[in-house]
Amino acid sequence: MEIIKNYLESMFAELPNTQEVRNAKSELLQMMEDKYNELIASGTPENTAVGTVISEFGNLDELAESLGLSGAVEETKAKASEAPRRLITIDEVKGYLANRSQKVLLRSIGIMFCIICPAPVLMYIGNEGIGVTLMFLCIALGVGLIVFSSFMDHQWKFIRKELCRIDMNTASYVKDRKKSFQPVHALCVALGVALCVICWVPNILISAGENSVPGTALMFLIIGIGVLLIVYGNSVDAGFDRILKANDRNTVSGNYTSDISDLKFKSKTAETIVSLYWPTVTCIYLTVSFLTFAWHMTWIIFVIAGVIYKAVVINCTEE
Amino acid sequence: MVEISSDVSRGYNDTMILSVLKKEPSYGYEISKQIKLISGGKYIIKETTLYSAFTRMEKNQHIESFTLDTDPGGNGKKRTYYRITDKGREYYREKCEEWALTKDVIEKFIEQ
Repeated sequence: MEIIKNYLESMFAELPNTQEVRNAKSELLQMMEDKYNELIASGTPENTAVGTVISEFGNLDELAESLGLSGAVEETKAKASEAPRRLITIDEVKGYLANRSQKVLLRSIGIMFCIICPAPVLMYIGNEGIGVTLMFLCIALGVGLIVFSSFMDHQWKFIRKELCRIDMNTASYVKDRKKSFQPVHALCVALGVALCVICWVPNILISAGENSVPGTALMFLIIGIGVLLIVYGNSVDAGFDRILKANDRNTVSGNYTSDISDLKFKSKTAETIVSLYWPTVTCIYLTVSFLTFAWHMTWIIFVIAGVIYKAVVINCTEE
Repeated sequence: MVEISSDVSRGYNDTMILSVLKKEPSYGYEISKQIKLISGGKYIIKETTLYSAFTRMEKNQHIESFTLDTDPGGNGKKRTYYRITDKGREYYREKCEEWALTKDVIEKFIEQ
């Protein structure tokens, strides 16, 4: 039955995603399923049953005509021959995802080193030589990792640059991967944000209210680890989304995953705004906190941001 | 093996479907099974043809669709059923007359 489903999906992949087309697809699937089940029940071997059902399916041109979709079908055919979308195979997807999780791990560690670089200077006060040397070592290591990681996915550049498409099988594979990563993603972000919010606590504990030097150094370390977790979780997750969004959103195939990302953005800009929202808030939080050193109050930024987020999402998405 | 050409069948798919629905309301696969059975296995209607006919005839108000909960297990599986309308019955009679005439005319040119 899987083969039949996939066959039907591939036939409908490039049709516009309208209610009529969705109805047609589900009705046709129902008929094919009925036929298949009866053939199996009467003792037909599975392969023969699949063959019979597919051979008696007919063709979509006829259907398009009666649904008033001939224009749309011609259009997608013309578009396909003009600028063919490159099919990303499931093996390529596996390779891309494996490569991506290594890449983003290195990049996150690089970012962490850049954030924690002031810590050694604070820890070796009175011995500037070692402190500054270690700081530059951190920066070099951090920048090195970031640059190196950006070259790592050279092989997969086409996924970003070219128009691509995926089939139903690949979509559900990536969807499963995204789902099983979901708890890790949530944990990374929650822990990361929590670390950024409570980073001033050790400072208070160590110095009993005063800003102390080792406390501040520890603060940089905690923020570094927090940001590492946030960036890592979000970037791995974004990798799944990039694959899942490969297909044209206006066609049936562009909606294989509509049940997973229920946010439908009004435009590319709207999508960018929403995706940059939390990183920006975190930046604002850290900047304000470092400038004012009022860590005991600045956490309120996250509360306010949470309220504004709702409004932003409502404005940026279609219902 | 000789098969019925799609040019000929196209004009009479609606007639076959209406003839099945005249007896009782039915759903997609059941209708296609009936057509195969009545034709003695000589004509198998394609799924796309059948669904196209449904949408066209519904637009012309020859048939009406309704959903029915058919699963005895009751897990909420619904099927789309079709029933013939009065307009559909009238259309069916017209098509029957038309076929009688067509058959009459074409027969005169066919060598046995």
